[in-house]
Amino acid sequence: MKKYFSLIILLLFSVSVMAQIKVVATTTTVADLVETIGGDKVSVTYLCRSNQDPHFLEVLPSYMLKLRDADLVFKIGLDLEKWLQQLIDGSRNDKLILVDLSTDISKKEVPTTKVDASQGDVHPYGNPHYWLDPENAKIMAEEIYNALTDYSSSNEDFFKKNLDDFKKTIDTHMKNWSASISGMKQKNIITFHKSWVYFSDRFGLNVVSNVEPKPGIPPTPSHDAELIQLIKKDKIKIILMENYYSDSAPNHIAESTGIKVVKVPNAVNGIEGVNSYVKLIDYIVTQISKNG
Amino acid sequence: MTKKIFYYLLLISTFTTAQSNINPDISLIGTFDTYMNFEKDTPDYGKLLFDMPSLELFIDGYLNPYARATANIAFEEGEFGVEELYAQILRGLPLDMQIKAGKYLLGFGKINIVHPHAWPFLDRPLWQQIYFGEEGFNDIGADVNFILPTTDFYTTLDLGAYSGNSFATNTAGEDADPTDVRGNSLIFVGRLGSFFSLDDFNNLDVGLSGSYGDYAKSSFYIPDSLGFPNQMLKYFYGGIDFKYKYKPDSYTSLIIQSEAILNHRDVVRGNESVPLIESISTYGAFIYFDYQFIKQFSIGLKYDFTYGIIGDDYSATTLSNDNLNKTSGIEGWVGYYPVEETLAFRLGTQYLFYNLADGMSKDGNTTITLQMIFSLGPHKAHQF
Repeated sequence: MKKYFSLIILLLFSVSVMAQIKVVATTTTVADLVETIGGDKVSVTYLCRSNQDPHFLEVLPSYMLKLRDADLVFKIGLDLEKWLQQLIDGSRNDKLILVDLSTDISKKEVPTTKVDASQGDVHPYGNPHYWLDPENAKIMAEEIYNALTDYSSSNEDFFKKNLDDFKKTIDTHMKNWSASISGMKQKNIITFHKSWVYFSDRFGLNVVSNVEPKPGIPPTPSHDAELIQLIKKDKIKIILMENYYSDSAPNHIAESTGIKVVKVPNAVNGIEGVNSYVKLIDYIVTQISKNG
Repeated sequence: MTKKIFYYLLLISTFTTAQSNINPDISLIGTFDTYMNFEKDTPDYGKLLFDMPSLELFIDGYLNPYARATANIAFEEGEFGVEELYAQILRGLPLDMQIKAGKYLLGFGKINIVHPHAWPFLDRPLWQQIYFGEEGFNDIGADVNFILPTTDFYTTLDLGAYSGNSFATNTAGEDADPTDVRGNSLIFVGRLGSFFSLDDFNNLDVGLSGSYGDYAKSSFYIPDSLGFPNQMLKYFYGGIDFKYKYKPDSYTSLIIQSEAILNHRDVVRGNESVPLIESISTYGAFIYFDYQFIKQFSIGLKYDFTYGIIGDDYSATTLSNDNLNKTSGIEGWVGYYPVEETLAFRLGTQYLFYNLADGMSKDGNTTITLQMIFSLGPHKAHQF
């Protein structure tokens, strides 16, 4: 009897595992949002680690293996993951559904003239770092909800409840985040890469320059000198940068000006303890408020 | 009238947008070498020499949801040529196989399929120069590729059949007529490769390669007047390769890579009046490391060994038919990449030394090369 009981339990467990939607997310932030909406109906893995620059990911066969068995793959889009198509081709997964989370985002910095390499690594479809605006996270969550519901309509109510809960959580935290960072409103800051436009627009920060002379172009001594002049003239307090970039140029500028270099993760799990989207924005807001 | 103009403009803009959306990726790689050679008793000893810049024009894109096509048109030493032209069926085939057909660099080992501008070093490994020729193992044919069901690591098997025309070039020179040299028999090339992700920062790829076929007709080396029965000279190449990479962050990495070949083949020996056919076995190998210590700089060192003397003329006893003489080499380099891979400078030096079986001596040869590479247009993400 015991044997039969164990078998039934095992069978039920297997069925529940099999029923999970297998999802690959291109980044840890997307993975967190999918887990939030999908709950235990999804099993999620990601490609780009939180301490890696998502612009440049080496095409590893191990990533192809992850995609090989997946049902859905979610991406940030706007040409951030230029490496993704090579991985999808290598996975040979004909049934894989690709979901672009940027579809309903109001894009910023969409070039209006011809893009060429003299402008640096400009994204021709707009700046892709939109996930750093919590209002955009709600749009991403909605997109995830739609994709999961399309794939598994029987779980629509479950996904809908998670979506509504997430939106409420963001709305609640938005008030606190806005209050915390209010002291920095309209204040000038410098960022390392041109990746904080959505965040700064949402919270009213004024990004006046970047450590990279052009997007993706390494810092140069002459540009550092210009920044030093600018910082002294405008009394700028912080350089905001992702923690996976080298801080040697920002630290050099800081030595000459006393400006604070604020290194933060821009993805979930980018630092220990920051294991959800809410905690990510919490951490960034706190660091800016504390140092600004 | 205004309405007509409006519709006309709308049609043009729609057409233009659609066209730009379906355009293939086009990129151009330019390479410019300047070098000094210190080979004794040569007229160019110690002179600063400039090579004609070479270019590779890549055109690459999807043909439809299932297939891609790639063309690589090269301009080298003042001449244009089609280096690669192939189509690949990527999905929709049984057993998840992929098919590649056309003219392309063959997957014997890993380095051969990588274009020289993407190597960390400057000089083609010596054994590849001897057994594949100066342009690498490049042939016309087709290949099927399978993913094997190894769940914890990624294993692929490639099996291909080719015309063998590259052997005619490597046996008799650029102007050789393949049918004169080796007839029309096929050659076969395959590779079994496995990729292991050891952890987040350490990855390893290992592979076994093989190639088999006829490389020449014995009559190519033996005058008809001797009445020697014409027969096909067979070869077998066995290869082993590995690539290890440690990449803790975006700014530093260490690559250690090695490939070795075993060459077993029929060769014409004996003397001019009494020729005979023997079997020989020779081998070659290289190993290098490339250490990127900051984002813009890397240094590296390569050790090379092969049977055969680099630079020999083609004959029945030289190059890949040589089982007596050996060439070794040491190459060191510094790479400077100011802005990603759009522009690269490499300063390298290679010292070659020779081991001749007949007691003769040949002086070692040092070359110093400064190379500039530029890349215009979109480039794909780096493959492991």
